Amino acid sequence: MDTFQQALAEQVAEQHRHHGKALFFYVWGALLVMTAIEVYLTYQHMQPVKMLTILLGLSFIKAALIIGYFMHLKYEVSRMKWLTMCSVVACLILMTIFFFPDARRILELGVK
Amino acid sequence: MATHDFAAQASHAHEAPQGFIRKWVFSLDHKVIGLQYYFLALAAVFVGMFLSLLMRIHLIWPGAALPILGEIKPETYLTLVTMHGTIMVFFVLTTAPQGGFGNYFLPIQIGAPDMAFPVLNMLSFWTTLLGFIVMIAAFFVAGGAPLHGWTGYAPLSALQSAGPGEGLGADLWIISIAIFCIGALMGALNFITTTLDMRAKGMTMMRMPLTVWAWFVTAILGLLAFGVLLSAGILLLMDRNLGTSFFVPLGTINGQLTGHKGGSPLLWQHLFWFFGHPEVYIAILPAMGMCSQLLSVFSRKPIFGYKAMVYAILAIGFLGFMVWGHHMFMSGMSPYTAFAFSVMTMAIGVPSAIKTFNWLGTLMRGKIRFSSPMLFAIGFVSLFVSGGISGPFLAQPVLDIPLHDTYFVPGHFHLIMGVASIFGIFAATYYWFPKMFGRMMNESMARWHFWFSLIGTYAIFMPMHYLGMAGMPRRYSQMTEVAYLHDLIPLQKFITYAAFITIAGQLIFLVNLFWSMFKGPKASDNPWEATTLEWITTTPPPHDNFGGHTPVVHNGPYEYSVPGAPRDYVMQNDPEIKPAH
Amino acid sequence: MADSALQNIPSVYEPSLFGTYSKKIGMWLFLLSDTLTFGALLYAYSYGRISTGGWPTPFHSESIINATIMTAFLLTSSLTMVLAVRASVHRDAKMQTLWLLATMLCGTGFIVLHGREWSNLIAEGLSLPMFPKVPHHQVAAEFVNVSKTVPQFAATFFGLTGMHMLHVTLGVIYLGVVALRRKFIPILLVLWLVAWLGTPAYSPFHYGAHILLIAAIVCGIILWLKPKVYDSSDVEVAGLYWHFVDLVWMFIFPLVYLMSAKIL
Repeated sequence: MDTFQQALAEQVAEQHRHHGKALFFYVWGALLVMTAIEVYLTYQHMQPVKMLTILLGLSFIKAALIIGYFMHLKYEVSRMKWLTMCSVVACLILMTIFFFPDARRILELGVK
Repeated sequence: MATHDFAAQASHAHEAPQGFIRKWVFSLDHKVIGLQYYFLALAAVFVGMFLSLLMRIHLIWPGAALPILGEIKPETYLTLVTMHGTIMVFFVLTTAPQGGFGNYFLPIQIGAPDMAFPVLNMLSFWTTLLGFIVMIAAFFVAGGAPLHGWTGYAPLSALQSAGPGEGLGADLWIISIAIFCIGALMGALNFITTTLDMRAKGMTMMRMPLTVWAWFVTAILGLLAFGVLLSAGILLLMDRNLGTSFFVPLGTINGQLTGHKGGSPLLWQHLFWFFGHPEVYIAILPAMGMCSQLLSVFSRKPIFGYKAMVYAILAIGFLGFMVWGHHMFMSGMSPYTAFAFSVMTMAIGVPSAIKTFNWLGTLMRGKIRFSSPMLFAIGFVSLFVSGGISGPFLAQPVLDIPLHDTYFVPGHFHLIMGVASIFGIFAATYYWFPKMFGRMMNESMARWHFWFSLIGTYAIFMPMHYLGMAGMPRRYSQMTEVAYLHDLIPLQKFITYAAFITIAGQLIFLVNLFWSMFKGPKASDNPWEATTLEWITTTPPPHDNFGGHTPVVHNGPYEYSVPGAPRDYVMQNDPEIKPAH
Repeated sequence: MADSALQNIPSVYEPSLFGTYSKKIGMWLFLLSDTLTFGALLYAYSYGRISTGGWPTPFHSESIINATIMTAFLLTSSLTMVLAVRASVHRDAKMQTLWLLATMLCGTGFIVLHGREWSNLIAEGLSLPMFPKVPHHQVAAEFVNVSKTVPQFAATFFGLTGMHMLHVTLGVIYLGVVALRRKFIPILLVLWLVAWLGTPAYSPFHYGAHILLIAAIVCGIILWLKPKVYDSSDVEVAGLYWHFVDLVWMFIFPLVYLMSAKIL
């Protein structure tokens, strides 16, 4: 690794040193609590679609917490945040839009 | 050289290696790895071309007994189609422009001593080579190579008993593709990181040559697309070897239940084409970048609309992810999504047209030098337009449905994706050969090669459009027995003869390449009087590209015919002539 | 604030567009690609589930409890990983190693629990057609029925969780190399022998254990070619990978387990 990379890594490390320890415990606690809520909701006799929506919503919040705090993305430069997240999310949205109508269509046509 | 200013550079990542194995085999140097990729693609292209030759021979002399190979059976014909497509798309069109030229010139053109991750770069080449070996091995196992087409459509590809090549051969095919995915991923993340992190001082994003932009966007496409193909391949392997049914619906083969049920072949098509359409742009974008570069250099004019070109590359990359469904209009996909895909496919014509008109604008009133790289670059534009015109036809479901399974589609995609990209590779070879090997290529052989290739290409693929419109189905191994196709046989014969001649023309290139490598006249540091950073360094470049320094960039990449400048071109690291755009 | 703070290092290069060192960008890019790999698997699962009528919900509360404990293991391992990164930037080598070992321990706990779960399900009849049958074991009619009527269920379950388990395993090995370097190779070989000899021949893990052997050979070559002390940047990059594995499980857990729980 050349000196420039070392200097960058040292700067990143310096940035890390300013983070408090307590925050990580809060995030961990929040993730555990949300997991518990998910398991609790599972047994509440809900409509499957409603339950799926809530579970996925919670999962996205959990994912955001992990990416933001544990993976440190919250503290990266905004260009990195937006470009990385947008590219992946765009691909996933595209798949969502175009895959599922076909999955349902086959069912509705009665072809199995 | 002496007039260029250099900034002192920090200690270089690795020293120049001694000894043959470290220097030429397990090399960490991006230039050597680029050459390794290039020669891998060269080997692959001749394998692929040989397969296409066999196909053409079989089409017009179906029962002919060939020396050594014997008679080509109908299933062998499908094998030839499959392996020709796979080898050409993966190991030539993806490997040569991106892995070969991208590896060699991306770091030099941005002023970096090497890629960001040299070890990963080496691994990516060896992974790709392993993939190629596994792919070739599929020919020699029991049952031979698979016959499911380069798209690997399930359920044909998902069932061991679906055909003679669908046993071990198909497994090897999928494994090879998976290995290739991993190699391509390693390459892609290396390219992106290098472009983000290792541009020399002054090389802002908007001063990068369009080649670098093209390689950069191609790498992003590869990064996002190959991951999906990898998981599709894993699922297909599970279907074949663990008895799952992701892609196989309930059905029978020869009256026997397959034991699978509940899967959807449409899912495979979605996953495959989610990768497959960006893959088309992975093949063509680097060629577009090289063409932009060359048209500017040899017209002695700045590229027409640099910013528009950059945005067009980005737009093509972005839209390229939204149009995969236009390969699936025949598949029983929802007609509503087909409509959406159709609209977006036609939208992608806009950035393509922007690029085309900018190329023409670059040529307009230029002091054009018709050197061999320029001929191939102009040939690229010609093929891109000819092949692209039929794109909007195929983008519409109503026209695609009658045309899709005819020769119209092979005509279309060979022109625009296959040969256009190959012309980009040829143009780049003639252009950069002096830098890579320190010698010039033979100009008159290059011209012969160009005219053989251009006329031959049109003679082969233009008639295919007519064959398609006349209703000749593609993938049929034999049309001599079908009455309504009889009138088309002369045209098929013509295509085959044209293919013979064109392939013979490629031998000129091969001879020129190897003869010039050892016997060509010595090249100067900047034989084409171009401005980008690879031409400021010695020929061939030293191990760390700029001899212990990193250049400082002051100008854009296409400063030709600048009024008031001492020469008709201004190097990127010359003193600044005007504020950055 | 972060945007400007990182850009003032004198260099021969333009400032990094992502404002951080290359290794980290490389890992992020790999993870983007891997997200789509897992994304495609999850879409294949969802596609199968939507297009199949009468998707079974066979997971008993024991399975759900087990999976919840596994989730807690993974979440805790993410916390210890963050603490390892924290120790590494404070140049506390001892705590760094200890936290990394704690992370690996949680990860191993996850693998062991998950492996046990797999073995139980296979024994009870939720199996793929090509998995060897478990001898002398009473199958549960319910699971056999699921495998027979909706083959997609077992296929997606084993495909998704198997791919994830592979990632966790590789993650533990990665962390082991960062934490212990050369000393980790013999440990890995012992683990391979334990996993190989400790599982019966009909278990998928009997063959899967050889991944550890391959990993030991590859890690040995890497450590032999490039022996170095891993610094805080290496720990951070390894951490990114580990958190990603955790992140993926946050989607697999509700989609595969909770949405298929048997509700009485």
